[in-house]
Amino acid sequence: MAKSINEKINELKTGVEWFYSEDFKLEQAAERYRDLTALAKEIEHDLDGLKNEVKVIEEDFSK
Amino acid sequence: MAVEQVYSVKDFRAVCNQILETAFAGVTVEGEVASFKVNQGKYVFFDLKDDEASVGCFMMKFALRFPLEDGMKVRVRALPKLTDKGRFSLTVQAVVPVGEGSLKKSFELLRKRLAAEGLFAAEKKRPLPEQIRKIGVISSTQAAGYADFCKILNERWGGLEVFTAHTQVQGMGAADQIIRALDYFNERAMVDVIAIIRGGGSADDLAVFNDEALVRAVAGSKIPVITGIGHEVDETLCDLASDVVASTPSNVAQLLTKDKRLVKQELRSDMERIKNLFNSRVDEMVAENRGEMAKIGREICARIASEQSELTGIVRALAELNPEKVLARGYALVKGAWRTGGEIEVVKQNEIAYAKIREIKERN
Repeated sequence: MAKSINEKINELKTGVEWFYSEDFKLEQAAERYRDLTALAKEIEHDLDGLKNEVKVIEEDFSK
Repeated sequence: MAVEQVYSVKDFRAVCNQILETAFAGVTVEGEVASFKVNQGKYVFFDLKDDEASVGCFMMKFALRFPLEDGMKVRVRALPKLTDKGRFSLTVQAVVPVGEGSLKKSFELLRKRLAAEGLFAAEKKRPLPEQIRKIGVISSTQAAGYADFCKILNERWGGLEVFTAHTQVQGMGAADQIIRALDYFNERAMVDVIAIIRGGGSADDLAVFNDEALVRAVAGSKIPVITGIGHEVDETLCDLASDVVASTPSNVAQLLTKDKRLVKQELRSDMERIKNLFNSRVDEMVAENRGEMAKIGREICARIASEQSELTGIVRALAELNPEKVLARGYALVKGAWRTGGEIEVVKQNEIAYAKIREIKERN
């Protein structure tokens, strides 16, 4: 199932936190940075493309 | 000659009521309340009057949605009737205060009563859900406020499902429609949050949002409710009862969504920060390695110096033990058979003497 924008943003935030954590390893950093850049671009693309869906309920609330 | 119709009193009253019903299927009358009273906790009586006339009114207490007091100006929707006693009366279906003074008075009376019941208590307020995907909107789809809400929502965020319950947002009957819409969303549990929206208007226009039954429905909603009613200066009892109050319909959209432009900025700034962090970590590690190498070098030098110094001591000690050095100080070395009659060699720095031991004695 495709991830929602919010899930992707959370994934990106977790990825960013890794750079500030004690788990940081220089050998892995370049690859992780590359992955996060790709994810950030994907999120921007999603944000530009997604539209809201507005439906007016058919129920008659005057009765 | 036509025969004159003779009615019993009861029939006459019934015919009059029939005529009244035909003439006024429902009538709206405005006037001032006088002699307001509630009998047995359920029957409400008052007179509606102006400078020149007065008419008695009757209604059931459950239909009374705003507090009334003598002197308040109200608008009633009613059916005119002749009572059993032959008195003309209005059977009131709905009554709302009108005019700034009456609205304010009614607002204050109801606010105090509902506040005492705890309907507006801060601890009852729920925060908006962190991730909102489905929004239930209660508004008139023709209202400018609704259009503003949709515009701002679409500018700020995408991927949301918005379900709009189209209702009246002013006038008699509007409160009941909004209550039905609240029930609709609550019964189906189909949305994460309910937004009640209405653009600006006069105090009379916004009075529907001070309807007691509606205020109770807002406070009792299982789904969190956000209100955006009127302008920033307007305050209604629905605002006090809701979980979150927005100043305007546009502000509702702002409170329900993140701004995608800001999210994009944050993403870029996050990426920039980790890029800088990555670079500085690399620099740190290079500097750390340089420091480590220098430290090792210093340790090696110190060890060499220490060993050199130790070696010099040993060499000096060895030099002191050299027999030639003792001979140079004038001492002689005696070698050979150390016994009486034994032959010995007496070695000095530059000479050797050969001798025979004549006698050996103890030294004193």
